[in-house]
Amino acid sequence: MMLLEGRNLRKTYRLSRRISLEVLRGVDVDIKAGEMVAIMGPSGSGKSTLMHILGLLHAPDANDGPAPELKFEGANVTRLSDGKRTKLRAHKMGFVFQSFNLVPTLSALENVTLAAEYGGMKSSAARRAALETLSWVGLDHRAKHRPMELSGGEQQRAALARALVNAPTLLLADEPTGNLDSSRSAEVLALLRRLNSERGQTTLLVTHDPAVAASTDRVIRMTDGLVDAEPQLALAA
Amino acid sequence: MSTLRNLARRKLRTTLTVLGITIGIAALVVFSSMANQINSLVGLGAEFYDDKIVVTDGEPFGTSPMRLADADAIAALDGVAAVDPRVELLWESDLAIGFGIPDTVTGSTPGADAGHDTVPLKLATGRMLTAEDEGNLVVLGSTLAVKHGVVAGGSVEIRGEAFEVVGTLQSTLTAPDTTALVPLRTAQLIYLGDLPPLVAESLVAEELVNQIIVYPVEGSDFDAVAGAIEATIANSATMTGAEFDETVGGTTAIFNAIIIGIAVISLVVGGLSVINTMAMSVAERTREIGIKRAIGGSRRRIIRELVGEAGLIGIIGGLIGLTLGWVVVLLANDLGRSSGTVLFDLTPGTAVFAVAFSTILGMVAGLIPAWSAARLDPVAALRYE
Ligand SMILES: Nc1ncnc2c1ncn2[C@@H]1O[C@H](COP(=O)(O)OP(=O)(O)O)[C@@H](O)[C@H]1O
Ligand SMILES: [Mg+2]
Repeated sequence: MMLLEGRNLRKTYRLSRRISLEVLRGVDVDIKAGEMVAIMGPSGSGKSTLMHILGLLHAPDANDGPAPELKFEGANVTRLSDGKRTKLRAHKMGFVFQSFNLVPTLSALENVTLAAEYGGMKSSAARRAALETLSWVGLDHRAKHRPMELSGGEQQRAALARALVNAPTLLLADEPTGNLDSSRSAEVLALLRRLNSERGQTTLLVTHDPAVAASTDRVIRMTDGLVDAEPQLALAA
Repeated sequence: MSTLRNLARRKLRTTLTVLGITIGIAALVVFSSMANQINSLVGLGAEFYDDKIVVTDGEPFGTSPMRLADADAIAALDGVAAVDPRVELLWESDLAIGFGIPDTVTGSTPGADAGHDTVPLKLATGRMLTAEDEGNLVVLGSTLAVKHGVVAGGSVEIRGEAFEVVGTLQSTLTAPDTTALVPLRTAQLIYLGDLPPLVAESLVAEELVNQIIVYPVEGSDFDAVAGAIEATIANSATMTGAEFDETVGGTTAIFNAIIIGIAVISLVVGGLSVINTMAMSVAERTREIGIKRAIGGSRRRIIRELVGEAGLIGIIGGLIGLTLGWVVVLLANDLGRSSGTVLFDLTPGTAVFAVAFSTILGMVAGLIPAWSAARLDPVAALRYE
């Protein structure tokens, strides 16, 4: 089953009145349920922008080209109100960022609990689910610590717990190991792979590491705002 | 919990904002308390004048001599139910211009109102004067009793003479507190002594009063009765409830204008500083707001969170301001009591209003920055350093 289908996804940033930056220039992507897909490409090629559109943080541009379309679980989500997109993000998406992005004033437990509450749980249930998820990522002993009191690897595991607490349909991780040393990276990647193999977690992962990419089901390569043609198609042409 | 923590994170700015609100609310509390007192004085005054007409000779203060016979002439008029001729004097022989209401001595005939006075005084100790009492007997208002440290059975000195205290009154927070009630005859004698010798020569103490309180028949036309009195008694002036309301209405209006002025100033100063604090807070937390929006925090939740914080600033400022105002009122009333004037009345209504006002002020002011925070683009906010 196709979980996510994107067609003609474009994004242009207007930097000033005359200068605009075409970051995505018409991207088509399909993500099947249960797949673990890596997105690779040079810095500035539009990987994060694509993730933001697929994660319903941004809507694709509608003008200057063929109509874009984005389907999530078979439903058209191309143009949804902010409220509906927010709700889908809360219930169905999990985000992990390169720079962790934990709320600095909240403990690891509170950060995860907050996401669970956004996902519709009552506070006591949210807390329980948060503790459970934190222990799954091996961070229960650090639950009461604030982000500042955690190492980078621990922060990213807390962020992963936050992304997972609502059992999301789609996990989006944007260079989740970009700020970690190699052994911390390995820990986080091991968790992501375990999630995919044990629970069938659909995962979209931006990475620069070819070894990481190699361990996924499929790699989408991007250059300059476009998805590279598949090598075999290139050969056929 | 995290609301408090977010405020604590910006201690200095939050403190300054709370301080601004505190001062505004304290001022509001103090002036509202003053207005309460003024309004209740005016209200009691209005109540006092409600059932009667006060007749004087038309001089300011109503302390110039009139004849007791005038009272009989008034009593004979149509529509008059009872008359209560009185002598009103200052406790001190020379009018020292002081702070507040001066202590007074009132001589009257107990029971002269024939049950028409609807605001009777209540005793704290001892008994009231009776029509049979004569000589140096006195019933003291509560402030006077405290001032002279006496209860029924004690004695005080008035104009160099010893008076036996037969009773003391309960506090009314108004004029009777600073009034000493004596038999009419006793007051007449003091009054005669007060008059300039040339005037006094031609007068007899027993015939001397300076105020006649007239109780018209219930349901009669007070203005008509007042008109008849002025027509009958030469050089007389009457004051009815309606005239009293007119006279003091201006004072009350000024006070209410001051209160509204202070409320508006607190509103503007407090409101602007809350807006400023919350706007800075939103700017500092742009990234955090972006995170919350990205992981599924709705606009409404963001607004609620920030408005809650602003409301908390308002509550804290309001409570501290109320406490501060309360302390000021207590101290001022302590000072005032020793000089016989209670100026402030901090009612529960005023207290609740002050805190509710600052809470709502905080929340409304917080809405503006909260609204702009909720409209941030989450991705742009996440990129923000
Ligand atoms: N909000 C924005 N405003 C202006 N330029 C942006 C914005 N977001 C991204 N860009 C630019 O778009 C380009 C692509 O960004 P991004 O999708 O983050 O690339 P990648 O993740 O592949 O490095 C970059 O040049 C980046 O500077
Ligand atoms: Mg990127």
